[in-house]
Amino acid sequence: MVMALDAIETTCVYCGCGCGIYLHVDNNRVNAVTPSLKPPARGRLCAKGWLLPDFVGHPDRLREPMMRKGDRYVQTSWSEALSFIAKSLAEIKRDSGPDALAVLTSAKATNEENYLLMKLGRAALGTNNIDNVARLCHAPTLFALGASLGSGSMTNPIESLLHSDVIMIIGSNTTEQHPAVALHIMEARRNGAKIIVVDPRRTQIAEIADLHLQIRPGTDIALLNAILNIVIREGMIDEDFIRSRTDGFDAVRDRIAEYTPEAAERICGVPAERIHDAAVMYGSAGTAAIVYAMGITQHAHGTDNVQAIANLALATGNLGRDGAGIYPLRGHHNVQGACDMGALPDYYTGYQRVSEFREKFEAAWNVELPESHGRTAVEIMGSAGSEIRGMYISGENPALSYPNGSRIRKALESLDLLVVADIFPTETTRMADVVLPIASFAEKYGTVTSTERKVQLIRKAIDPPGSALPEWIVAAKLLEIFGIPAGYDSSADVMREIAALTPSYGGITHERLERGGIHWPCPTETHPGTPVLYRDGFPRGRALFRHVDQRRCEKEMFTLIIGRSQYHFHTGSMTRRVCILEREVPEAFVDINPEDAAALGIRNGTGVILESGSGTIRARARLSDSVNSGTLFMPFHFRESPANMLTGWQLDPHSKVPALKITSVSIRREGA
Amino acid sequence: MMFFLEKKDLPELLRRASAFFEIIAPVLVNEEPQLVSWRGEDLALRAPNPLLPPTRLFLPPRETLFTYLQESGLYTFQVPQVKERLIVGVRPCDLRALSLLDRIMLSEPADELYSKRRRSTAIIALNCTEPSEGCFCAQMGAGPEADEGFDLLLTDLGDQYLLETGSPEGIMLTRVSEELLESGTDAERVLMRKMDLMREIRDRIMNARPWLSHDRMRSRLREINWKSLSKECISCGGCSFVCPTCHCFTIADLGLPDGERIRCADSCILSGFHRMASGANPKANPEDRLLSWYMEKLEYMLSRAGISGCVGCGRCGRVCFSGLHKTDLFR
Repeated sequence: MVMALDAIETTCVYCGCGCGIYLHVDNNRVNAVTPSLKPPARGRLCAKGWLLPDFVGHPDRLREPMMRKGDRYVQTSWSEALSFIAKSLAEIKRDSGPDALAVLTSAKATNEENYLLMKLGRAALGTNNIDNVARLCHAPTLFALGASLGSGSMTNPIESLLHSDVIMIIGSNTTEQHPAVALHIMEARRNGAKIIVVDPRRTQIAEIADLHLQIRPGTDIALLNAILNIVIREGMIDEDFIRSRTDGFDAVRDRIAEYTPEAAERICGVPAERIHDAAVMYGSAGTAAIVYAMGITQHAHGTDNVQAIANLALATGNLGRDGAGIYPLRGHHNVQGACDMGALPDYYTGYQRVSEFREKFEAAWNVELPESHGRTAVEIMGSAGSEIRGMYISGENPALSYPNGSRIRKALESLDLLVVADIFPTETTRMADVVLPIASFAEKYGTVTSTERKVQLIRKAIDPPGSALPEWIVAAKLLEIFGIPAGYDSSADVMREIAALTPSYGGITHERLERGGIHWPCPTETHPGTPVLYRDGFPRGRALFRHVDQRRCEKEMFTLIIGRSQYHFHTGSMTRRVCILEREVPEAFVDINPEDAAALGIRNGTGVILESGSGTIRARARLSDSVNSGTLFMPFHFRESPANMLTGWQLDPHSKVPALKITSVSIRREGA
Repeated sequence: MMFFLEKKDLPELLRRASAFFEIIAPVLVNEEPQLVSWRGEDLALRAPNPLLPPTRLFLPPRETLFTYLQESGLYTFQVPQVKERLIVGVRPCDLRALSLLDRIMLSEPADELYSKRRRSTAIIALNCTEPSEGCFCAQMGAGPEADEGFDLLLTDLGDQYLLETGSPEGIMLTRVSEELLESGTDAERVLMRKMDLMREIRDRIMNARPWLSHDRMRSRLREINWKSLSKECISCGGCSFVCPTCHCFTIADLGLPDGERIRCADSCILSGFHRMASGANPKANPEDRLLSWYMEKLEYMLSRAGISGCVGCGRCGRVCFSGLHKTDLFR
């Protein structure tokens, strides 16, 4: 396509920050990346961003559709692959009903692609078994903030943090995982903002914090309730705000009294006076923000954790203003968008409930839509091989990223039909019956929605390899095969349909986005977008307090926390193909406190065996006082040491998020 | 040789040169200056210097050294073609960086691809009359005026450009646009005008940081508290990736049995850069890597090649995550 030197502005593909980047293209290859000077990152990038070109042009890229024939994969044509997929899906639907099928969409795909895959699942296949990776990250946010405030997303834009007097960061390794957010926090700190970090690990952001509360894993509610208790007791609440804009405060106040700092100290392992300091710091601030990520959500009580945060922000009136707010940080560049597009079992686009808006979508799509209760991602995996027989997975690698890897692998193997669309071969494509090659973010047009609800363009810089296609084209072709009209000429066409059906995206068009991103809700073409939510009230009228209790924590020998490392992303299908990133972190490590290590005869670099109720893996120990005694940390990127072989299937009852952050394990020296 | 060129005629001069070269020039892409193949767009010569330095056209951040194809156990190799290019608007800071890279990359054994690209690229430099806030080329002795290393040199005199030739290739380029050029009648007066202008710019840059000098930076290096500064460094490597004098790279073979050998820009800010095969790492701490980055720029490059590794372009400060790359460090 482009034979010459060019620079194309687009949006980074990794985390949810949504940093603008320029792809420098020479002779149809991306050979450099530079940051855009626009918000949010304003000229900065992380190492993964700087080194983006390496995976885009990697020779491992999937180039042609492939079908499994016995033990081997053979190359096939798009028409053959798609008609085989359609025929097999139709057969399963005929024999076992539509709910024997499921679609998992991709947080790495565009809004347009997520929308069409959602439409494929509901309108063509006739099932609400649709979900995306948000189920493993911010489903509790969606549930808790949705119920309490009215919208399950970040309340303020990232830049708002520059106006905060106090920023409390809970369960977020911000510098490593959301660098553009950390950039703003560090800038706010240089301008005098106080930083509180709550984390069982001494992360880089904890190092520069004014207060680091190194709690025992899973004791966030005890801590947050104790902080709220102190805030109430010492008169730091915003009574006007509570009276005029919220419901349910009295019930919370009555029940929270038992959460004294001393009681919290016994549960969290943080001295009562430090908890008091944090409460005074947060409670007395003019504007205070709470930033959180997976450390809050990936728990069997993830929804309650988020509610505890909402209670604290509501009681202090820290919503609807610049510098205040709640900042759930999204981990993929379009996981916000995947949810916005209705890739969820219970919602259509823009969080319109299936139970309320079915007729609207039936009329728009001119097709009967399923009423049945859709399953969530982990539930879909749980019924694979029994109730679920056919699955379409887009750009995801559950074999490594979902909990209890061996159970997931068995589930995927037991399917009658597994279709996987991706840009690289992964552990999951290896189990597929059909593998579809997809255009990467650098090879297509579309929109993605960042963690701050900002819808931004991605632009095509180069041609896709081989006959790889943008997935919106694949989904449109499948819709056509199933008799649903899908004559879209471009992804901009798809966005027009989304806007017509989705009030919060009503005014969003590709033409407008050419001039810069827009924060939803943006109901009309003249609406400027809404960077800060709840300035003039809550969509549900009054915001809701709900008291939440700390669950009992079993005393474990070792608690394993899993997460990401700074130089890799998720299951590593992209970053492990970037030679410099792979050099930085070439293998899995287990952070262990030096005292624990000494007691077990483990030295830095010793091979160790980790064992849990789900499985056993080997990794290399890394002695580090960033974790307290009894806590271990390990990244989950590595297929050689797949941390998710250890994690279990305990689900949060409200949001069905699996408790990925806490796994009880034993650790021993290899050969011991 | 010295000519005047009406500002409106610069595009025409480039159009004529495009018969021989692919023209690379800074233009605004979505409001930001970028070096791209020029197709007649408005030139962004007054905009800030693009983040990706022109030196990266000679040593791309990612390039294929050769592709390999295996057939019946025999390998065949293919080396990429190098294009004839003309880069427009290279500023004195980047020109100085290029001279430094020449001394390193062209010393025996010369880097083949770099050398090929260097020989097939012509340069129209631009004396810098639009320094940015973070620029300190004057203190580093690298700007704002170019003295060598160009084929043609432009100076923006306000109403028109002064065009000077610096090589036979530059003279050739003026020949094909002869009627666009007006010979300077009073050479001395013109040179005085240029000197005055450049002195004014130099003073402006110097006065922004009168205390800054190369010696000052060198002597302060050991006094800076790198440990406390490095607490906010996220080791992104951005400072290396935009530095016009950084040239470290790593090499990898991608793909079996067919594939390509690639070379990509590396950064000594990254920990793994220093790690040895045994796993031992003499620069495991970010404070050590930051200091060594500056030592390389201010001491080692100077002693190795005779030119300082810092040309005062200010790019490291523009991309630094933690805001630690700034001249105030040396105050």
